[in-house]
Amino acid sequence: MGFEDLVRTHAADLYRYAYWLARNRAQAEDVVQEALLRGWRAFPRLRDRAAAKSWLFSIVRNEYLRALGAAAPPAESLDGVELADERQELFGLEMRDALLALPASYAEPLALQVLGGFSCAEIAQMIGASEGATMTRLSRARQALRRLIAPRERAGGRT
Amino acid sequence: MNCLDYRRQLLTGADETDAMRVHRLQCAGCTAEWQEHAAFEGELRNALEIPVPQGFAERMATAQATQRRRFLGTAATALVAAGTGGYAWLARKDPLALACIDWVMKEEAKSIMMGAMPRAEAEVAIASTVPLGRLESLGQVKHIGPCPFNGATAYHVVLAVPQGKVTLLVMPSSPMPGYRHAAKEGMHAAVIGMKSGSVGIVGSDAAVVDSVAGALRA
Repeated sequence: MGFEDLVRTHAADLYRYAYWLARNRAQAEDVVQEALLRGWRAFPRLRDRAAAKSWLFSIVRNEYLRALGAAAPPAESLDGVELADERQELFGLEMRDALLALPASYAEPLALQVLGGFSCAEIAQMIGASEGATMTRLSRARQALRRLIAPRERAGGRT
Repeated sequence: MNCLDYRRQLLTGADETDAMRVHRLQCAGCTAEWQEHAAFEGELRNALEIPVPQGFAERMATAQATQRRRFLGTAATALVAAGTGGYAWLARKDPLALACIDWVMKEEAKSIMMGAMPRAEAEVAIASTVPLGRLESLGQVKHIGPCPFNGATAYHVVLAVPQGKVTLLVMPSSPMPGYRHAAKEGMHAAVIGMKSGSVGIVGSDAAVVDSVAGALRA
């Protein structure tokens, strides 16, 4: 598959992934544009064409982090992240709003798993975490989403 | 496997293993959990799949193709120039024509990615310089959109003619008499003055650039 075909096949999911990183449509589009230009230049050096999809997602991730540059927020450690529902006592949200309430470090592995179809091991490699930590993030993200979308009484009767 | 293990693994979102399946088929509670999980995953996928801008994938693919065309044109012409001493084009260095080449090499892909403007709007925008119908009589207009160029707004047109593709920069607010040329890094450009404004034509084949320029002047 040539680069142009790869772009056609994966552009939509790359855009969605970039959106869940940036939480902003315009920035997501910019990130994917720049990432694909970089990808086009590097494509001839990609030896394992079977890994092209994860390679593209990784370029988008790197481009997003590069674009953040000096404005990058401090890295979140797993233990230091406070999930949104614990922080804001939210409940009864629509799923998309619940995802937006999650820290990016939780939403990102979910996006890679669901949109990209990557395994825990692949996601761990892409985000630079251990496989165990990645599984923990995926589990905690789902637990948090369930609480956030549950109606008040099921969310624990918080008022 | 027990219920706790089953539900822990389910929460990671990984595919159900054989061991998980064996447990589920024997446990009503975990079967119910699995069904609830499947509904949740469907909802999660729907939420993550935010709408993608219309034509996004095609725009991205077209921009990649344009980049590749530029690169191949540059490489091929450099080889020809080196091998045959074909230096005449390379010696022509009109600043505006050179600026057209620079714009194409650096900005064209991004311009395509920004998306095209509606046809009706484009028709009005370039009418005083070159009617859209005239461009369409030469070939297929693959893209047209506004772009900042040379301190003013120009209109970027990708035109596929039978001999190949060229890029036009239609400059309604840049009048310029005559006919100018430049060549740089395997790209060729001609800028021609029109009744109102001017048009830059850029391509990797000098003959195609000249041919389009001649047709527009006629």
